[in-house]
Amino acid sequence: MTPQKELKLAYSLAVALLIVGVLSFAAFPAKTPDEPIRIMYKSVAGKVLFDHKTHRADSGYSLACEDCHHHFEFEGSSGIDGEEPVVQACAVCHPFKPKEQAYPESCMECHDEEDLDEDVEVTKRTDAFHDQCEGCHQETEIGPVEERCNWCHVM
Amino acid sequence: MLNHNKLIVSHAPFWHNGSSISVRSYHTMIAALPAVLIGIFQYGPRALGVVSLSISLAIIWELAINKVTRRTVSIGDGNAALIGLLFAMLLPATSPWWLVATGTFVAVVIGKHIYGGIGGNPFNPVLIGFAILMVAWRDFFDFNEVLVNYDLGFAMVYPLAAAKHLGTAGIESFSTAGLLLGQQTGGIGSNFGLGLILGGMYLIARGFIRWEISLSFLAGVFITALLFHINNSELYAGPFFHLFTGYTLIGAFFLAPEDSSSPVNFIPMLIFGVGAGIMTVLIRNIGSFVDGVPFAILLMNLVNPICDKIRPKALGKVG
Repeated sequence: MTPQKELKLAYSLAVALLIVGVLSFAAFPAKTPDEPIRIMYKSVAGKVLFDHKTHRADSGYSLACEDCHHHFEFEGSSGIDGEEPVVQACAVCHPFKPKEQAYPESCMECHDEEDLDEDVEVTKRTDAFHDQCEGCHQETEIGPVEERCNWCHVM
Repeated sequence: MLNHNKLIVSHAPFWHNGSSISVRSYHTMIAALPAVLIGIFQYGPRALGVVSLSISLAIIWELAINKVTRRTVSIGDGNAALIGLLFAMLLPATSPWWLVATGTFVAVVIGKHIYGGIGGNPFNPVLIGFAILMVAWRDFFDFNEVLVNYDLGFAMVYPLAAAKHLGTAGIESFSTAGLLLGQQTGGIGSNFGLGLILGGMYLIARGFIRWEISLSFLAGVFITALLFHINNSELYAGPFFHLFTGYTLIGAFFLAPEDSSSPVNFIPMLIFGVGAGIMTVLIRNIGSFVDGVPFAILLMNLVNPICDKIRPKALGKVG
């Protein structure tokens, strides 16, 4: 190949691949699926990779949504039409750190302020996860049963 | 007997045998293609975007630095495109565009052109780009975190992370055959072991890379991993696992044998390869990083000038 042809090839590669690259990034932005496959929780004790799909799948733990999402609701509850279930992520209600405000705003989507007991705090996120994950695994004796931090906090 | 000619050198003009840097660069890219295509097939258009953008931007950065430093435009030799491709092969498919842009800039400008361009770089430019980015934005290289939305039908845990944190109990779901066939998460072009081995064999057969470096690197990884495994088989994964996971194979065939950052003589090549292999497993098993290949090769790049001191004496040299 002559130097001119080599240069032409390099220019063509740069232009063609720039177009392909920009189009791929623009047309296929990173999307989060409606139902998560895995979730990475970050904490000071180490990241926790939670396999949501395995907990849901029949070949896995075969859990129903409401087994974990205890404010699981159907139709009409939040102004969403149809039979689509309304599932809220744990972090929506369970704060990472307790704030002066006793309840997160999201509580008020379902409850009236006078319904709520001011002395009761919403469980902190860390405690909620620990209670739910450990409680379920110990009860069913499947998966990480022992109370060892690095069963879950591994990354 | 006296007429037996061992070497005939004719006078000029000479005929060029057709070899060139561009042939070497593009053939290396072709050798890497099977692994890259499998990566794109697995991770879809986002992976195609990362690979395309990386090659294109590496060429553009090289052109820009050529213009800024008023040197001859060198993008024709294909080395920048090769740097872009190899860099993309190490990245996860979900890498944002700015990470690709920054990484290719660091690789081409800081890794290569600051040292005077091709042949002058003491470190592998691809690994310079990768290492700086990995230290700066570590979370973007945590394959477990960045690939949470992919489900490819096999265990979607980064094998080296599972081995590091859970020991051999955490890697039971990985088979050697599966790892060779690309059934593991990781960089776009670093998972399909069989493709990387075929590409490497092609490069060795064509004389583009030195088998001494590749094989000694793999031997270094194998022996060190074997010793760790024999010492504690519950804690440390076996040698085949280390050979076929992470960046081992891409490191052996595409990163370690880079021309200007690796030795040229037989013994130094063996020292370089084995040293990088040993360091890889040491970092993986007792270091803080999940994969040790990039830093192990960079470390041996640093040792390379000392390795090169081991060379035959010049004929007739006295003293």
